[in-house]
Parts: sequence; C-alpha cells; structure tokens
Amino acid sequence: MGRKALAIAMATVLCVAGLTLGGCSDESRSDSSGLEPYKIGVVVSLTGSYSGLGVPEKKAIELEAELLNEAGGINGRMVELFFEDDATDAAKAAAAATSLIEREGVIAVIGATGTGQTMAMRTDIDRAAVPQVSMAGGSVVTADFDELVFQTPWPNRVVVPFTLNALAAKGITRIALISDSGGYGADGHDVVLASAAAAGVEIVADETFNLGDTDMTAQLTKMRSQSPDAVLMWTAGSEAAIVAKNMQQLGFDVPLVGSPGNGRVEFLDGAGSAADGFSFAAGKILLPEAYGEGSEAFTVATEFIDRYTERYGTAPDIFAGHAYDAFLIIADALGRVDGDVTPAALRDAIEATDGLIGVGGTFSYSADDHNGLSETDLVMYRVDGGQWVLDE
Amino acid sequence: MGSAELLQFAVAGLKNGSIYALVALGFTLVFGSTGIINFAQGEFFMLGGMLAVFFVKLGLPLPLAVVAGVLATAVVGLAFERVALRPRRDSGPLALIIITIGGSMVLRSLSRHAFGGNELSLPAFTEGASIVVAGAAIERQALWVWGLTIVAVAGLSWLYSKTRFGRSMRACSLSHEASRLMGIDTARIVMVSFGLAAVLGALAGVVVAPLTQTSFNVGARIGLKGFAAAILGGLGNPIAAVVGGLALGLVESMSIAFISSTYKDVIALVLLLVVLFVRPEGILGRATREKV
Amino acid sequence: MGTVAPRIRFVLFAAASVVIASVPFLTDDRYLLKILTFVGLNAIVVAGLALLLGFAGQISMGHAAFFGLGAYTSAYLTTAHEVPWLLAVAAGTLLAATGGLLLALPSLRLKGHYLAMATLGFNEIMSVLFVEMRGITGGNDGLSGIPFPSIGSFVIDSPAAIYILVWAVAALAFVGAANLVRTRPGRAMRALHGSELGALASGVNTVGLKVQVFAVSAALAGLAGALYAHSVGFISPSQFSLEFSILLVAMVVVGGTGSLTGPFIAAVALTLLQYVHALIPGLSKDAAALIQDWEVDISGLIMILTVIFVPGGLAAFLKRRRSGAGEEGEIA
Repeated sequence: MGRKALAIAMATVLCVAGLTLGGCSDESRSDSSGLEPYKIGVVVSLTGSYSGLGVPEKKAIELEAELLNEAGGINGRMVELFFEDDATDAAKAAAAATSLIEREGVIAVIGATGTGQTMAMRTDIDRAAVPQVSMAGGSVVTADFDELVFQTPWPNRVVVPFTLNALAAKGITRIALISDSGGYGADGHDVVLASAAAAGVEIVADETFNLGDTDMTAQLTKMRSQSPDAVLMWTAGSEAAIVAKNMQQLGFDVPLVGSPGNGRVEFLDGAGSAADGFSFAAGKILLPEAYGEGSEAFTVATEFIDRYTERYGTAPDIFAGHAYDAFLIIADALGRVDGDVTPAALRDAIEATDGLIGVGGTFSYSADDHNGLSETDLVMYRVDGGQWVLDE
Repeated sequence: MGSAELLQFAVAGLKNGSIYALVALGFTLVFGSTGIINFAQGEFFMLGGMLAVFFVKLGLPLPLAVVAGVLATAVVGLAFERVALRPRRDSGPLALIIITIGGSMVLRSLSRHAFGGNELSLPAFTEGASIVVAGAAIERQALWVWGLTIVAVAGLSWLYSKTRFGRSMRACSLSHEASRLMGIDTARIVMVSFGLAAVLGALAGVVVAPLTQTSFNVGARIGLKGFAAAILGGLGNPIAAVVGGLALGLVESMSIAFISSTYKDVIALVLLLVVLFVRPEGILGRATREKV
Repeated sequence: MGTVAPRIRFVLFAAASVVIASVPFLTDDRYLLKILTFVGLNAIVVAGLALLLGFAGQISMGHAAFFGLGAYTSAYLTTAHEVPWLLAVAAGTLLAATGGLLLALPSLRLKGHYLAMATLGFNEIMSVLFVEMRGITGGNDGLSGIPFPSIGSFVIDSPAAIYILVWAVAALAFVGAANLVRTRPGRAMRALHGSELGALASGVNTVGLKVQVFAVSAALAGLAGALYAHSVGFISPSQFSLEFSILLVAMVVVGGTGSLTGPFIAAVALTLLQYVHALIPGLSKDAAALIQDWEVDISGLIMILTVIFVPGGLAAFLKRRRSGAGEEGEIA
C-alpha cells in the first residue's frame, strides 16, 4: 500500500481541519485610494439543483456592477460585490449571510435564488438589520412580512389573479389545475385555489407531480375525465415540457396555460411542437415591445438584453432579469441616501423606491408592499411556431 | 372510469416502470458480481443522456450520437471500476458503497462543470403522433423504451444462462473466493459487469431524454427508483428487476388514478416496505440463510 | 480495539476537548462559530450512527429523517404552542426515538441492502410528509422564527453560547457512546456485527439489542435536529433529505467501523469540506469562488481516496500510527 499517497490523502484532510482554526481573523480590507466602495453581498445558487437559475443571476449582477463602476460608481464611490454560492441549500444560505454580514461587512444582501434559501437568511438579516432584496418568487418572502426584506419577481398573488381573469375573459371557466409539489408549484397552487372564486372560475381537477417525475399522463388522463375548458399548470422546471408533450400525445386538446416560470428557452426546446398555443403571463422583459417602442421601459429592457447578449452570447432569461432589478433597486436607493450610508438608511431608501423602471416592471415599494409590482407589469404571452408572441 | 382510461393508466405505469426496470437491471448486474449497491448507477443514466446531447451538438446524427453517448458512458463505467473500485475490491461492501457514493458526487458535479446547470433536450428517436390502441394513446418513444427493455432482459438472460462468461458471473455472485479457485478471472467479471451496468443505465438515460429532457442532477432520483425496483423484485436476478420496475411504475400510476397524485411516492414506498417486511428478499428473491 | 492504553486515549480526548472548548474564547467570528456548530451537530448524529453501523453493523439511510423529526417537533412546539425549550427538545428527541423504535421493529429482520432500502424508503416518506403536513411543518416555505434555546429567562442567543451548548451535548454523546461500547451491551453489539447467529448462540437477545441501539441512535439524531432548529432559526424539508442521510453514513464509514474517534474526525472533516473556501485564510475572491465551485467534487474525491488508501477508515490509520506499523492486526 502506497504510504506516501496515504500520507498525502490524510494530510489534505488534516490540513483542512487545521486551517479552519487559523482562518478566523480576516479583517475587512480598506481601499487606500479615496473613498471606500459600497460593499454588497450576493447569495445565489451556483451549484445544486437551482444552478440553472443562479448562474444567469450572477452574470447579470456582475455585468451591471461593472457598468456602474465604469461610469464612475454612485456618489463617486465604487460598488464592490461579494458572491456566495448557497449550493441550493438552506443551511449554506444561512451561513453565507453570516459570512457576508460579519466578515465582509456588506451594507445590503441580494439573494437568494430560491425561496427556502431566502427565508433561511432571515435570522441574520434581522439581527444585523441589513436590507435584503430577494430574487425568489415565493409569496412567503414578502407575505411573511419583514421590514428588511424586499422581492423582485412577480409574486403569485399578483400573477395568478391576472392569469385567471385573462382566462375568464375568454370564457374559460372550468379549469383543471396541475402543479408541482415543490415550493413554486405548491405556492401557486394555494393562490389559485384561493382566488378562483373571485375570478369567476371553477377548479374542476387538482393534481400534483413531484419534481423529477418523468411522466404525467396518469394525472392528465384523470383530469381529462372532468372535461375542463383549459389546463392550468404551475411549475417552473423541465417538468413543464413533459406536461405539454403528454397532453399532445394523449390528444387532450384544450388550451394549456402556464406561469412566468415557463418563460424559458429550455421549455420551448423541450416541448417542441407541443408548446404551440401554450399561453402564460409574465413581465414584459420577454418581448420589450410590449412596453411600447420608444418608451423608457422599452429602452431599459432592450439595452440590458443587448448588453447581456453581447457579453455572454445568450439572451438573458427572466432570472437574469430579476437579478438585474435587484441590483438596480439597491443602486438606485444608494444614490438617494442622504448623508451616511448605513444599512438602516439604505433600507429606508429602498422602501421609498417609487416608479423605478426595471426590466421586470416598474417598482414602487411602500411600508406595507415590499414586492412593488402590480398587474400592469404583466402581459399574456402565447407560443407560436416555437416563439413567444403577445397574446391578442 | 372507462376501460380506455384504465388502459391509459396502465400504459403510463408500464412506461415509467420500464424506465425503472432498465436502471434496476444495472443495479442487479453489479450486485450480482460484486455484492454491492452501486450508488453511481443513476449517474450512468444521467451521463448517457447528457453525452448523447453533447454529441448531437457536435453535429453527429442522432443514431450515432446515441450510440456514442452510451459507449462513452461505458468507458466511464469501466474507468470508474478500474481506478476507484478495484484497488479496494477485497474490502467489505460498505467501503465499496462509499466509493460509489463519492463517485456519484464527482460524476454529477463534473457533468455540471461540463454541460451547465440547465436542462438539455434530445430529439425523439422517431417523429410522429402517438399510436392509439383501444382508446389509449401510446407515444412512439414509449415503444423504444419497451423495446430496449425487452432486448436488455433477453440479452442478459442469454448472457447469464447460455454463455460461459455468464456462468462465471453467476459463480462470482455466489462466492468470489471459490470462483477464483475455479480459475475464473473475477477481476475481469467485475469490470465487465460495471461496463454493462453503465451501458444499461446510459441506454435508459438516452431513451428517456427525448421524453423528459435531461440535466446534470437527474441521476439521484432515478437511481433511487431503480434501486427500489431492484429491491422490490429481489436483487441479483434480471427478471426480478423487470418485475420490480413494472410493479413500481404500475403502483404509482394506479395511485394517481385512484388515490392521490401527491402521495403516489409514499404509497409506492409504503407498499415496498410492506413487501420487504413480509418477504425480506423481494418478490422473486431467493431466501438466503446465514451461516455461522 | 482496546489495545491502546486507556491513558493515551484519555489524554487525546482531553486535548481535543480543550481545543474545542477554547474556540469561542479565541474568536468572535460568528461565521466560524456557526460552521463549527454545524460540525458539532453532525458529530452528535454520527455518534449515534457509529454505534448503529460501526458497532451493531446495522445500516440506516434514514437518519436525516430522524434529524428532521426532532427539528420539526421542537420547532413546532416552541413556535405554535410556546412550550419551554428544554421540554420541546426532549419531546423532539423522544419522538425521534419512538420513530426509530417503530421503524426498527419490522425492519431489523432485513439484512444489508434490504435494510438500506427500508430505511431509505422511510427517509423519502418522511420527506413527503415534511412537505405535505403544512399545518405543522409550514410545507416548502419552512418554519421560520424558531426561538433560540432558553432555560427560564436565560436565553442562549450568542453564537459562542450556542456553540458551547452544542459541543457540550456532543461531548456527552461521545462519552455516553464510549461507555456503552466498553460495557456489556457494547460487547454484545460487536458480537452481533461479527455474526448474528453466533451472538444469538451466546445468549444475546439480538432483536432486542438491535431495536435498542436503533432507538438510541435515532434519539441522538433527533436531539441534534432539535438543537439545529433552535440554532439557525429556520428549517425547511430540503434540509432533511436522503442526501444528508447518505453523507452521514459516509462519515461513519470513512471514519472506520468499530470506532468512535474515526467517525468523529470524519464528521469534522467532511462537514468542514463543504465550507473550505471560506475557511482557508488569505484566499483571493476568485480563488475562493473557484474552490466553492468544486467543493462537491473535492468532497467526493476525498471520500474515495480515504476509502482506497486508508483501509479500515481513519480509525485504523490512527491506530497503526499510534501502535507502530505492523503490530496491529486487521481492523473489523
């Protein structure tokens, strides 16, 4: 047995254990040249199951911070970013928040990618009273209200009524619901059941599936026996394409309606021809002309899309958009802080955000609304020939 | 509930069940020759699909890309056995299981480094609308799933019962020591069984990818289902793996049909536990007696 | 085992205790204390799992579920019913033990991989229940606002105090486990590990023993889970997944069966490896990000390498080192 190899392997393990004891004192470095930069922490899922979401988020924030710094920063001060990967793990997100706040001394935290990770950071956010802008869509993020926590995606409690009203307006009232049992699906599911009556629609079937399931024909067969007017699907991952394809295979020929989480190229790729006719509500970033060409929102969105596409070779998805907005909200608030920039002053400035045009919509926060978007920021899309077009 | 609907549920169950069966065959094959559970089996499934997509993107025609994906996965399986498992082949099963767990972590993560975190698509093997039989729709890709399962079972059964190599494999599963004394090259048997398990996993992965898309993290879940199917049927026997897989798929789809889609996995697992408690060796497993 | 002089063993234990106990006095880095608290929590679970797997030879791939059972029970009781912390933690521990008992009774007829499947199935079932029993668990959104540990009006809310609490429990768990394996139940367990029929023949009540060990190890997992809930303040179902169960088993095996010291060191190392990017001092931001990107690969590789190059686990390695090469026989 190779003693040397063994020793090396052991040494690696012991090194790691040993080094941790030495790794306690890493005082924040101060820039010698003029003013210190604003330190902003970012917690995203770069590994683990949300890495497909977290990676574009990181890219968008890096790109925007660079642009801002090249233009001279805010109030003559640069922005310095500190990224932490939560590995799609709540415990790691909590640890990341501690690290950013305690070790780096950030004045605000952007993140996390997922709802569970966002909630896990709250203990530290509250203790240190540092504002947090989350890119996760779960209702609980702002519904379980915390004066420090803000959110950029369109929340289900806005999107669901908008979608149901759009369906009702078309005379679609008998709706079969299928949702995933994960966070996004379960959240949407609850909001749909709660807001169906107000929208004048009836939920005639209610089925779920698990993330990672490979086939939903059993659920769809059961739903078909209720002869609904349309199928409403609330899920964001690859399972959405399976539902679309399974419906096509079954010849289950009623409209399929989805959620903003389906505004992804991967869905179009996966569902292929089965995506034709699929409709969903989302913000206007997918087709900026929805803002009306020449409008300020149109310019903001197209410039971001062009910049991102030029840098990374792919168009930004909605998650990159949520991240853009999160960074924009903090940068904008930093510019409006009078006097000393403390986390408390920054929080107040974020809450005072009013009519800020991002790519996901126009944000206006208030003391009791930390989501800031409304139905006017949404529009219905339809898939036609493998592309999104505006519905109607 | 009409008979067409019932048939449709059965079709769904048998389709998923065949996928589980293909993965279960890989488990049972490695178990047969080594006595260990290969926790990296699900990653072979993942690699098959991901590599096939990769080869399609390189410009290979679909059939070639599929073959290349499967073969490349087989190479990974062989290399994994040679590099990570063989040095410790004589230790207890627990140590080897941990090696396969470590291997699955590395393979999954490497795949993310190479192919990114998003789901990727593979075209269907044969285009076209689904075939309707007695009111139940059967998609064309499902025929490929079933066809491959049948070929895999027939091939393995033939290998086990009709070839010298297969007999050596079976001898190996009974006793490594005795097999070695009989002049059987156990090292080669173990390596080949890993290669074959990788092929089976990869085949399942490529045939499923057009149905579901694939991504770096699909392995763990399908690995769990395949393991459950192998255990349900009884480890070490290809027919049992298929019976276990189909049973698991059918239980799931019937649970959706008659009880609850939310609890389908719980129902399937509870049933599995009950089977284990009544027949600790699985449905078709042979009872073994411990010797002092 | 047992050839190492008890005195050396004691000195090592005392030295480790001093190092661990002095950490909160050497640093006030909340991050470091938090990570080391996670290490202590994993160590508590591993103490129990080492008894079950390393001594009694029974595998459990469901310990994350017991951890979750303890966490949810204690979190629910303190948040929804304002039950005193100590009582809530006790209830969580007890419920996990009961769960262990109920799972063990029918399962322990099963052997090897079939037992692995049964416990793994249990973990999956509990995962679904953690999501679906929303009235109690909060579903996918999780339970937040879980209070810090408190006894009467005394609240343990600083990271240093929580660290001390968790490590005190860990020390008790290891001392208890060490006593257990030295006494008659320990010998019976090892007999069981060697050969069940043999143990039976020498008068060991094998079923009773297995069930007891299973319950004790589930209780320790539940206790750690309860402590976890109160130290981070938030729990959600994904934290109690099969992946965590598998990692725990890996800690025991990498540490070495038939040992407590080995699994302890493995628990420390494998937990810290997940945070290695933040623990190496003086790394540039880019280097830390690179390491973080490869942390899963590094953990997996180290697991493989340790098993390949250190037969018998870390315990066997330590033993060979201490007693000089070649003197020691094969480690079970």
